[in-house]
Amino acid sequence: MENNYYVIVTTKTLSEKLKESNITFLFPLEGFSVGYPTTFKLEEITCRNAYLFINRILDHNSILQLEEILANLPSNIKGIMFDDLGVLYLLKKMKKKIETILFLNHFNCNYLSIQSFLDEVDSVVISTDITRKETEEILKKTKSRCIVYGFGYISIMYSRRLLITNYNHHFKLNASRKNIITNDLGKNFRIIENEYGTVIYTGEAYNGLRKYKNTMKGYLINTLFFTDEEVIKILRQDSKLDELYPYRYLSEEETIVRVKERNI
Amino acid sequence: MIELLAPAGNLERLKIALLYGADAVYIGGYEYSLRANAINFSQKELEEAVIFAHKLHKKVYVTVNIVFHNKDLEHLKEYLKSLSQMRVDAVIVSDIAVIKTITDNNIPLEIHLSTQASTLNYASALFYKNLGVKRVVLAREASKEDIKDIKVKTGLDIECFISGAMCTSFSGKCVLSNVMTNRDSNRGGCAQICRWMFKISDEEEIFSMTPKDLNMSTFLEEMIDIGVNSFKIEGRMRSIYYIATVVYEYRRLLDKIMSHTLDVKDIVYSNLIINRCANRESVPQFFHKMPTDEEQYYLGREEVSNQDFLGVVLEEGNGEILVEERNYFKVGDVVEFFGPNMEPKTVKIDNIYDEYKNKLEIARHPGMHVYLKVQGVSKFCMMRLKVFDKNNYL
Repeated sequence: MENNYYVIVTTKTLSEKLKESNITFLFPLEGFSVGYPTTFKLEEITCRNAYLFINRILDHNSILQLEEILANLPSNIKGIMFDDLGVLYLLKKMKKKIETILFLNHFNCNYLSIQSFLDEVDSVVISTDITRKETEEILKKTKSRCIVYGFGYISIMYSRRLLITNYNHHFKLNASRKNIITNDLGKNFRIIENEYGTVIYTGEAYNGLRKYKNTMKGYLINTLFFTDEEVIKILRQDSKLDELYPYRYLSEEETIVRVKERNI
Repeated sequence: MIELLAPAGNLERLKIALLYGADAVYIGGYEYSLRANAINFSQKELEEAVIFAHKLHKKVYVTVNIVFHNKDLEHLKEYLKSLSQMRVDAVIVSDIAVIKTITDNNIPLEIHLSTQASTLNYASALFYKNLGVKRVVLAREASKEDIKDIKVKTGLDIECFISGAMCTSFSGKCVLSNVMTNRDSNRGGCAQICRWMFKISDEEEIFSMTPKDLNMSTFLEEMIDIGVNSFKIEGRMRSIYYIATVVYEYRRLLDKIMSHTLDVKDIVYSNLIINRCANRESVPQFFHKMPTDEEQYYLGREEVSNQDFLGVVLEEGNGEILVEERNYFKVGDVVEFFGPNMEPKTVKIDNIYDEYKNKLEIARHPGMHVYLKVQGVSKFCMMRLKVFDKNNYL
């Protein structure tokens, strides 16, 4: 495994099973993550060189709670990947010396934004909403400090609303497992809700591994919806990976802005 | 400073918004704006917009709030410089690339942070303040406590939405449109997938995410008390009638609050007018509690269209007005005129004349020009079907 991997941990056992030195584990922090059924209390994160994963947009109350947590971080927490820029403000205010990775989901689509953020943080996750060609240009201009989304289901909508709870309440349904939504064309999407909101994911796992020529800091791997064994296979670059996971998300066709731009 | 901020998708709507009582408008150029499918403004129209607004001592903010891709950066600096030369009052941005382009090149433009940045806490607001942002348009998800905390701890100008359509998602955090239609939601192409119908797991009932519209009329006073500076109406794709109606009603409510004459009856009446014009129910959303199923629709788009908007007054004089018709009306109809600086006026249509002064019984063709014998109504007034009698409410 020659690449570096930043692996979002979604089971309580995965970090015990993977011991390779090129893997950095990111733990969705309880109370500060959305879209992850398994989250971790600080005391549950025992591995050395652990990173926190904080992808919630934080309100006035949660930013205060986070400030307290950051003030007393255990020594094994070496970094944070976050979405809300308030986290960065707090870390700077507190002069915390831990690695900072900006995961500003759906932003960071161009080299100037990323270069600007790299003045503030150690590294940036490049958006998944751009083509491979656009990503290559960014990688070329950011001198190996970027992380590329390499594999996994992609969050395509994050709402503060409790969409499943509201639905159950409206139709007086029980809280049975509801995890797939389907549109009129029969296309499926995964959906997860916790008390902080609802996240919709792609229906297939995106595979962007081994697709980039320019050097990068590493690949982000989202292990959500995969078993530990499947994750191990993926990270060991199973030769059938492209065959098993052909979904390329938006990486091959540029999005359009105006309807008239569409090629018919 | 309390500012009523209105949307304008083109120059005509901008003039209507300002004349009907908005203190400022936000508009988009042909590029870099999140309503790519609105008509929007050419460079020449942007200039004209600024001149028109400044003559009325009002402001123009230009949205440069897309999430930029590499190729979008090519002409950004020149565009921002041109906006500065036009003396626009601020730009509304979400991408740090725009902020850095302004500050690194010393372009004299005030920067407002777009709601696309989904700011909900003071620390995030201070991060942007340190970059040079003067005002934050808070996330629509902001609660009263969030707003209060941000105001107290940052001292920034605070702008909040008070009216109009809601995204299901945090702004900027949804690419359903990209995935399903390839139309880029964060570059102005949103196909509003959250208003589509879905099936969820094995359930029989349709799964919907469609929110009702936002209506903060009952909380305006509290918003003023906690330090909100700018009260923003959503709707750059909306018609002149919508803009006129909503601006008119919120202007009336804000003026009454400032003069300590607001009564709950004023709010009830305004909401009847606003909801009928919007064709959708509107409710408060995140300010005082988390939205529940009550703040959503579950049976598809529940809009009820109507033909209340009858025409717009183009000219007045000699005891008559020239009206450009928008919907069918006839002799005998009871209509209402409302407009800048006037109370709504009820009129029974006695006579209708065409452009050659021939008598008509019915004005049936939208776009046709007709004369009516009406006094006390001026250019730019709107004519609507009288649905609610003000005397029954106020």
